[in-house]
Amino acid sequence: MDRRHFLQGLGAFAAWAQINPDVLVSPAFAQAGKPMVFLSAENITGNWDPTAHTTLSQKNIEGFVMGFLTRTPMRLDDPGQVVYELATEITLLDPHRLKITLRDGVTFHDGKPFKAEDVKATFEYGARSDRPAQWYPGPTETLTVTTPDDRTVIVDTSKGGYPAHLFIFLASFLPIMSAKDIAEGPGGVLTRRLNGTGPFRFAEQRGNTAVLKANDTYFKGKPAIPGIDFTFTADSTTRMLSLMNGQASIVERLEPEQVETVQGNPKIAISRIVSVENKYLWFRCSKPPFNDVRMRLAACHAIDRSVILDVLGSAGHASANFVSPVKFGYIDLPNYPAYDPAKTQDLLAQAGFPKGKGLPPLEYITSVGFYPKTKEYGEIITAMLNEQGFPVSLTVLEPAAWNERLYHRPGGGPGHMIDCGWSTGSPEPDLVLRTHFHSSSHRITGLEDAEVDASLDGERNAPTLEQRKTILQTQTMPLLAAKAPALSLFTSAMIHAMQAELRGLYIYPDGSIDASRGA
Amino acid sequence: MFVLSFLARRLAQGAVIISLVSLLIFTLLRVVPGDPVRLMVGGMAPDSLVEKIAAEMGLRDPILVQFGRYAGHVVRGDLGHSFVRPANGAATGGANFDDTTRGERAAVADLIRDALPMTLQLAALALVFALAFSALVGIAAGLRPGGAADKIAFAVSSIFISLPNFWLAIVLALLFSVKLGWLPAIGYGGFSYTILPALVLAVELSPVLIRTLSGAVAAQMSESYVTVGRIRGLSETRIVVAHVLRNAAVPMLNLLGVQFSGLLGGVIIVEYILDYPGLGLLTINAVLQRDFPLIQGIAIVTSAIFVVINIVVDLAATIIDPRLEY
Repeated sequence: MDRRHFLQGLGAFAAWAQINPDVLVSPAFAQAGKPMVFLSAENITGNWDPTAHTTLSQKNIEGFVMGFLTRTPMRLDDPGQVVYELATEITLLDPHRLKITLRDGVTFHDGKPFKAEDVKATFEYGARSDRPAQWYPGPTETLTVTTPDDRTVIVDTSKGGYPAHLFIFLASFLPIMSAKDIAEGPGGVLTRRLNGTGPFRFAEQRGNTAVLKANDTYFKGKPAIPGIDFTFTADSTTRMLSLMNGQASIVERLEPEQVETVQGNPKIAISRIVSVENKYLWFRCSKPPFNDVRMRLAACHAIDRSVILDVLGSAGHASANFVSPVKFGYIDLPNYPAYDPAKTQDLLAQAGFPKGKGLPPLEYITSVGFYPKTKEYGEIITAMLNEQGFPVSLTVLEPAAWNERLYHRPGGGPGHMIDCGWSTGSPEPDLVLRTHFHSSSHRITGLEDAEVDASLDGERNAPTLEQRKTILQTQTMPLLAAKAPALSLFTSAMIHAMQAELRGLYIYPDGSIDASRGA
Repeated sequence: MFVLSFLARRLAQGAVIISLVSLLIFTLLRVVPGDPVRLMVGGMAPDSLVEKIAAEMGLRDPILVQFGRYAGHVVRGDLGHSFVRPANGAATGGANFDDTTRGERAAVADLIRDALPMTLQLAALALVFALAFSALVGIAAGLRPGGAADKIAFAVSSIFISLPNFWLAIVLALLFSVKLGWLPAIGYGGFSYTILPALVLAVELSPVLIRTLSGAVAAQMSESYVTVGRIRGLSETRIVVAHVLRNAAVPMLNLLGVQFSGLLGGVIIVEYILDYPGLGLLTINAVLQRDFPLIQGIAIVTSAIFVVINIVVDLAATIIDPRLEY
């Protein structure tokens, strides 16, 4: 597909979406009369500014309250699908200019009409280098956002030198804030409450519950659900009990055993979708022994990922890439490191550690209590590595202590390998690849590799999405598989359980939910 | 005069106990893995920034210096502010080091003030359930040692003491809430939400109460005053209610003091499993988030409650039995 056809396809879909904007909502959905009680496995940050955090649970609340230019359903059969919301059309004028046409008749929850100035203010504020979330491809100085009229926004990335099409996928990930709120700056009203254009308005934070009420003026019509109580409940058994006794409407992050328990219950429906989250074994690439690519590959070939998937059961999905299959550009990489003990031994010998002799004690760090089965498969990986001669010991920590050790630090960070997932609610692959493997970021691996940097810059700067996909699939992703700064173990399955009357509720692969069906 | 001197002596002892507990918790928190500053500023913050903020907060000073500073605030009634919780009290995470826009932090005293009544209500109800059940079983067992009631009491105590509270909480929630639909189980939306966790705690408390009560009643029944009462023609009911139970109450009272204080620790698991918003749930979240000021505040308040309960129990025991001296 060339650029012309891609944009034509985008335009055709936009036209269809305008006729049927409820495309994502199942007609089976109805639970009028009482609030939907959602029990979240993760807490929130205490700062409502959407640019101040990367916390998944809070992103899910934003999914109910905030408006987005587009939404991306991200399903396996069509990872690049785009559904228009606040935008009615997105057109690439040239490689560095993107034209966004906005929907008319939309208002924020505080009554302010939604206009082009809000998109401009959101982009310019969100791209500021002092904003913690850092989702944008470049800082504010690299962007020129103009608003020829109230319904049109032009994004010009010429100053930054990167292509404007990067905003096409990001458009589904960036909640649009009110220019009036942004004018108060960091520390202003943005921190105290959410104000969006979404189907639910933020009412209050009551202890661990964010209370949302149906938005009477929602542009698709007032939702049938009168409100949502979004409550942090840490324990998965507690969440399940609450669902089973009818107190909760929907719960997230089920353990595989819990799925088996409730599968036959006619009052409960299960949703299992392939998520945007891959789980990784990250190597500390800036210190021995994993600063040697041969050692990283040797470890990768020592791990039989099919055994890990057996342990995970329904919570895992096989994949062979550094991004989820629902991300743009995914392919099963032909050179993705497979289980091959002979290759491990060969690489160990080449690196000067035949059968692991001479290697120092190695530490593999994992967490328990947040992701499913981490301790169980951590023990398996440790055993597999030891079998091949890696003197690995496993350190299992509760999430706070693990989180403290997660990121790269000068000198390589704690341990030699660490387990972690990475989830970003957009098809944009660079939210994983560039974040973790470009030397400007470091993040967990601390990788500094000029060849990888050049390849990541090359795919990012491709003039069209089609060309970018080709570079990703034929150059960047295979290069990463050959350098193995991490081993993506599997893609997580997002498992929700809900009251049967909510069956068909649309759940995105990052866990956010479309509960907007009109009354 | 006795009461005043008793109170002065015991309160002074209590102050020493609370200080020692605070110092112990304060020290332990600073030696366990998990730097709170790293959690506050975010994993991606450079070490230099972590050290800078830690130094600004005084967290790199010697522990005794830190403790002295903290104690100075506490005696002025200031338990400090949570490291992570906003003023609305929500459990939070995901902080980032260069986020200058975070809202106001919650005062530790406010968080404890909100959670403590919930736990006291739960503990009190658990005690009522446990006492009612234990009295029924324990007195019957004590009146006829070796009889059927005693054997039943022994069996019940053995079973109850073997049940882990986290397991029992799940099973009772499944039975009374999921299957029968009689009681709400998760969270708090009114007094009825206290019943199920109170039942779990009552099961945990009952074995000790039953054994103590049956032992005390059996011991009193073998005292000579019981025989004399019978010879004087007092009814068995009057002997038991007016004399035996009164005398058996002293060891029970002492035990109740210890048990009630122990409950404040025992609620942690039950509150976590049933998401009951009391001091136990607050404690678990504070520990997981390395929220030092909150953990310290909770430790001081619970140790103060422990001290006060023990003083009250000892005072009540001297009123019941004036021969006792503390």
